[in-house]
Amino acid sequence: MAYSDKVIDHYNHPRNVGSLPKEDPNVGTGLVGAPECGDVMKLQMKINPETQVIEEAKFKTFGCGSAIASSSLATEWVKGKTVEEALAIKNTDIVRELSLPPVKIHCSVLAEDAIKAAIGDWKRKKGDTTPAAQTTTTHG
Amino acid sequence: MSTTQARVAADPTCWSCGAATGGEHFCPACGKLQPLPRGTDYFALFGLTRKLCLDAAELEKRFHQLSWKLHPDNFVRAGEYERELSLDRASQLNDAYRVLRDPISRVEYLLAREGMRKEGEHKQQAPPELLEEIFELNEWLDELRIARQTSSNGEMMALRGKLEAARKNFEEKLRAVDAELDGVFGQWDAALDAGADDAARKKLMTRMNELLNRRSYIRNLAANVQKELAEA
Ligand code: FES
Repeated sequence: MAYSDKVIDHYNHPRNVGSLPKEDPNVGTGLVGAPECGDVMKLQMKINPETQVIEEAKFKTFGCGSAIASSSLATEWVKGKTVEEALAIKNTDIVRELSLPPVKIHCSVLAEDAIKAAIGDWKRKKGDTTPAAQTTTTHG
Repeated sequence: MSTTQARVAADPTCWSCGAATGGEHFCPACGKLQPLPRGTDYFALFGLTRKLCLDAAELEKRFHQLSWKLHPDNFVRAGEYERELSLDRASQLNDAYRVLRDPISRVEYLLAREGMRKEGEHKQQAPPELLEEIFELNEWLDELRIARQTSSNGEMMALRGKLEAARKNFEEKLRAVDAELDGVFGQWDAALDAGADDAARKKLMTRMNELLNRRSYIRNLAANVQKELAEA
């Protein structure tokens, strides 16, 4: 499998690896998995409750190079964005940026799901129960 | 009842003589080999219903009987269409046998045919407890991996022991999932016999899906431990 240069770069120098305190009320945690391959991904973000801006993002992924690159890129992209802007990120954006081949699309889906799950978790902590950001998402 | 029976296209007719074939492999009137009726699933190909506790010996017997009948050698003097047909049918038969022989690929096939196993983009997330457990196990394995890179010879021995224990642990988990799957297979077969409604069948299939997902996460872990052990 030939990885694109961008994937290799993220893989060798992953950005924002690590974790944030899960109990922090301003931290949202998204934990998702791909049953096809058994890989799992955790993405966390610290969100300013006043401005809704994502101030920090961390990830840890046990998976293939594309999944690591997708989550690394996702943390870069969400930082500085508002929650609404982050929710607009589609897995197809990631596929394009990283030039992922068709067999690796599910790896990018994992990253999109993780963003949505993390924001969903943060909203739940805030007592917001609108189902806009549940872990089960459809992609079109 | 209708969904559990072989789904055979309505009244297929023989391509050669036009007689009704009743979905048989060979035309009852002229004896010519028939294409597989559209929508026939692998179970029906062997004359089976969609039951999951398959008797391996019985399946093998049917496979041998059919492959003998469909074998291209029997058609060397037949017309071109029938010759090609026998090639197609023989390779279909091999595919079907490969899928049904293994209980896991068998249930995956069943769920795919029933539209219950979604591949690729439209999938359901596993329950959070499972993901958490898998994530933790992965982290733990990762620690062992890092320790392996930095440890002395003496520490390596201890580490090997831990990895061996991890492998045992994952294999046990795998066996537990398989045992549970077996149980659900039995319930599924009983439900088919009892003519259970769609809701009941769906519930069982959902459970099978969950177990298959769990199985694939654990298998991934087991494979990773195996890799570490091979390098340790
Ligand atoms: S192969 Fe599993 S996430 Fe890429």
